[in-house]
Amino acid sequence: MTLLISISHLNKSFPGVRALHECQFDLVSGEVHALMGENGAGKSTLMKILAGIYQRDSGEILLEGKSVNITSPRMAQDLGIGIVHQELNLMNHLTAAQNIFIGREPRSRSGLFLDEKAMNRNAQAIFDQMHLRLDPRTVVGELTVAKQQMVEIAKALSFKSKILIMDEPTAALNSAEIGELFRIIRQLKAQGVGIIYISHKMDELKQISDRVTVLRDGEYVGTKITAHTNIHAIITMMVGRELGDAGKPMIETGTDEIVLEVKGLNRGKAIKDVSFNLKRGEILGFAGLMGAGRTEVARAIFGADRIDSGEIRVHGMSCRISTPADAVAAGIGYLSEDRKHFGLALGMDVKANIVMSNLRQFLSMHLFLKTARIQQTAREYVKRLNIRTPTVDQEVRLLSGGNQQKIVISKWLVRDCDILFFDEPTRGIDVGAKSEIYKLLNQLAEQGKAIVMISSELPEVLRMSHRIVVMCEGRITGELSATEATQEKIMKLATQREMEQAA
Amino acid sequence: MFSKKMFTAALGVTALLGFSNIGQAKEIYIPLISKGFQHQFWQAVKAGAESAAKKAKVKITFEGPETEAMVDKQMDMLTAAMAKKPRALGFAALDSKAAIPLLKKAQKAKIPVIAFDSGVDSDIPVTTCTTDNIAAAGLAADKMAGLIGDEGEVAVVVHDQTSRTGIDRRDGFLNQMKAKHPKINIVSVQYGGGDQLKSTEITKAILQANPNLKGIFGANEGSAIGVLNGAKEAKKKIVVIGYDSGKTQKAAIMDGSEAGAITQNPVGIGECTVNSAVKALKGEKLPKITDTGFYYYDKTNIADPKVAAVLYD
Amino acid sequence: MTDHVLTENEGITSRLKAAVFSPAARQKMLAFGSLIVMFVFFSFANEAFFQLDNIMGILIATAVNGVLAIASTFVIITGGIDLSVGTLMTFTAVICGVFLSEWGLPMWTGVLAAILTGALSGLLSGTLIAKLKIPPFIATLGMMLLLKGLGLVIAHDKPIYFNDTEGFSAISIDSFLGDYLIPDLPIPNAVVILFVLAAVCSKILNSTAFGRYTFALGSNEEAVRLSGVNVDAWKMAIYCFSGAICGVAGLLIASRLNSAQPALGQGYELEAIAAVVIGGTSLSGGVGTILGTIIGAFIISVLTNGLRIMSVEQDWQTVVTGFIIIAAVYADILRRKKQ
Repeated sequence: MTLLISISHLNKSFPGVRALHECQFDLVSGEVHALMGENGAGKSTLMKILAGIYQRDSGEILLEGKSVNITSPRMAQDLGIGIVHQELNLMNHLTAAQNIFIGREPRSRSGLFLDEKAMNRNAQAIFDQMHLRLDPRTVVGELTVAKQQMVEIAKALSFKSKILIMDEPTAALNSAEIGELFRIIRQLKAQGVGIIYISHKMDELKQISDRVTVLRDGEYVGTKITAHTNIHAIITMMVGRELGDAGKPMIETGTDEIVLEVKGLNRGKAIKDVSFNLKRGEILGFAGLMGAGRTEVARAIFGADRIDSGEIRVHGMSCRISTPADAVAAGIGYLSEDRKHFGLALGMDVKANIVMSNLRQFLSMHLFLKTARIQQTAREYVKRLNIRTPTVDQEVRLLSGGNQQKIVISKWLVRDCDILFFDEPTRGIDVGAKSEIYKLLNQLAEQGKAIVMISSELPEVLRMSHRIVVMCEGRITGELSATEATQEKIMKLATQREMEQAA
Repeated sequence: MFSKKMFTAALGVTALLGFSNIGQAKEIYIPLISKGFQHQFWQAVKAGAESAAKKAKVKITFEGPETEAMVDKQMDMLTAAMAKKPRALGFAALDSKAAIPLLKKAQKAKIPVIAFDSGVDSDIPVTTCTTDNIAAAGLAADKMAGLIGDEGEVAVVVHDQTSRTGIDRRDGFLNQMKAKHPKINIVSVQYGGGDQLKSTEITKAILQANPNLKGIFGANEGSAIGVLNGAKEAKKKIVVIGYDSGKTQKAAIMDGSEAGAITQNPVGIGECTVNSAVKALKGEKLPKITDTGFYYYDKTNIADPKVAAVLYD
Repeated sequence: MTDHVLTENEGITSRLKAAVFSPAARQKMLAFGSLIVMFVFFSFANEAFFQLDNIMGILIATAVNGVLAIASTFVIITGGIDLSVGTLMTFTAVICGVFLSEWGLPMWTGVLAAILTGALSGLLSGTLIAKLKIPPFIATLGMMLLLKGLGLVIAHDKPIYFNDTEGFSAISIDSFLGDYLIPDLPIPNAVVILFVLAAVCSKILNSTAFGRYTFALGSNEEAVRLSGVNVDAWKMAIYCFSGAICGVAGLLIASRLNSAQPALGQGYELEAIAAVVIGGTSLSGGVGTILGTIIGAFIISVLTNGLRIMSVEQDWQTVVTGFIIIAAVYADILRRKKQ
């Protein structure tokens, strides 16, 4: 067991923000060292310094005892540091093998041409080592998110890295895939690789990590041996305070008033004969594996994708929804799982984002923005949803994931939608913010909004939903009430393939 | 699938446009490759050629590239025209040397070539139907001198610096001034590509820089209109002499904002080209150059039938 | 029995279908099919179309635009755009003219000068884009005007003729193929150069690191950067290479016209971009083939030539060409949607 990394007194500032202050961290070979902290705690900055993407301001990084200054991603690779990025950093138009070997393609003997065969062979070898069934010649854009994640990991492995940084590697994986990933991690551990593991999922820590280091506000809080601590203690270290547990909403759905009824929805292979209804004041959980068709259903109802057949009734009235504008007019809002791409204009400020979907309300003479009213409304929602931002003039990209999510929510509240689809509302959001989002969802339901929550995290679905609909391969395989639902029952339905069902 | 449908539709459109021209191969066919087709001037040449073709009972086509810089596009047009096995060929060269290999091919195939508007540096064309641009621009210089009292500052806005007509008209004007009117000072020669808007901006800049300017010569229709616009926008009263005709220039001459203009005889150029081709096919001998003539016209003679006949709208 | 045979047959057909109708194959077939349809249509519409002379005319009319389109393909695959290809072509021709006609240097120096000038100018565009972070549209728009003006200045507003350089016009117009190899096939050198260049560039695009990064940059530049690749250097290299190809185009057009025409060039970049896009290369980057581009260039020139041969009014020729470009690109969009 050798000391691979030892970091001390590390400082890094960005204009106006102190990202890391006198930070420390160490990693030994053959361990999985989890790095925890709320968003904005400095984990990503620390990782990016190790990966050569950012340069430190001051401090010392010892790599196997030698002081190093990592100036570029290339240099990090040469030093044996591999990174699996949180946001998939792949070239969608290239094949899996081409992605893995970008920048160090095997060449033909003349050195002039690429040796595609050798490249595919090498990629296949890595996949074999990972027990991953994947053709290296597959174009990455055609893979599922989970498979893309595996390609990222294969890429990091291909460097023969001694140090492997994994930034939320399980964010897009289902439990079977997570199991597979953990098997690979253990295998690497056994080979002496040191792994820095960043995750927001507390249950994974116990399963995979040896030690946990917690950062808060750019400062080092402490390091614990996982086996000798409990999750509650770690959360307390992270947030610096005791956290109340936002439990399941106690009130039952008071009304039986059906606000949304979907009948026989079909869209190609993605959605097959989907029917369900949604009541006022209810949180309806949509569970299932990645690619089960849950997002597709939401998008179809929202008018973002065309449907082949099916009926949508809002408040008992048949509705023709062919564009998102129709959906919004009918009072349906959709909060995309990919906030950055579809939910927010990141470069614009908080107030602009909050009023964006209902700008017409804020126009005088249909032409000019009512600046004062926009300001006032934005402040109102910032207060109501407890959005942490210095002012409503702050650019949204500078806020943490949880606060960004709240802005997306307020956007739809301003629009006065009473049917809300939340697609993975807590993805990439840290523990503290998560519980606030939960509270907010409960509040909204209590106020009479009808909510569909799509989530891949079973504990979240179980904890929040009044009813749970489970999907598999485009069809609804079952519906469970909150009382009867368990993880096992959901998983069984979520993996119930068509043939099994017939049999 | 979709594109196939679209393609059929597209081809249908072209067929509608094209079929009317098919199946007349027996007639004598004479393509005219011009320098352009959008300008009124070329439209007038085309009209002249078409009327002559009607009288002589021959079939003609008339085309030219979008801008007068596109020398290679004109080559492509010439190639396509030759592929149609014409009996004779009318050609207004954008670059008089570049086309020679193709013209040699025509000569080999015994296709008589009639040059029009500007000459080709070779003896291949059996004749050239053209205006003596140097003399015409010289006349413009004399008229300008007369109107400003034979002294003072004058500027020139030319359509381009590479074409024969551009060079000839510029040099014809400048040389005449130098030789005959030594007290006149040419303060600026600018190029506007024959583009009205560009020429307008150029004119305004010239007027801004030369407050004592007495007159401007616009060397083709677009340039002349640009000069008129520029003077109007700058609210300056100057002597404008233009070139060619067109509705705008004619109206400007009538209201006095333009003193007068040189007109070539574009209709005559077109007629001359087709008629010369027909004569050549009959084996008649033609002069090396057929001067189609030019006039200076102003308010006093614009209605003169001799002048009015060659002006176009 | 019969059942069994049927299934086997079905298996074969479906496999065949997969091979023929895979999205990638279908795209090329679509463009190529359109070209064939046009060719057949024009051949029937007018007998003058399908004549050796006219085919040669189409080929040589495609040479310059084809080469410019190849240059643009690389840049467009990176997700960029190069508006300066047309005037750069002219500029390289002018420089070549200065070397040969003004200074009277031997022909190979002029050829080298044109290609090097192209490469240098491309490198400059690339530097503006990669280092100064000027958006490609603006950077190359600036270069377009800059080169146009410089060309006119250097040529003193006049065409430079190559009459004194013996054999210069042979570069484009003569037929090495017809004279020495296949007497019945007098394909002009310019066309042979186009095809050879296309083959070489296709190889470069598909089998070299240079080509790989061209695609990778267009697909996800940030990912390439994070992979430790020197993104800026490669981007500059790609623009530089594209510029060198413009130098080849400059030689072809100068040789064909036996002169460098300094006023020519603007407008050619759009025709090149049209060829690239018709050929299935995505303007948003990451996708494209040289073969598609060549087919796209031929679609444009066959269309232009065919309409001309049919004596369609010139104004209508322009209308039809515009329509075809929109239809071709829309077909491509539909294809993508279906995937």
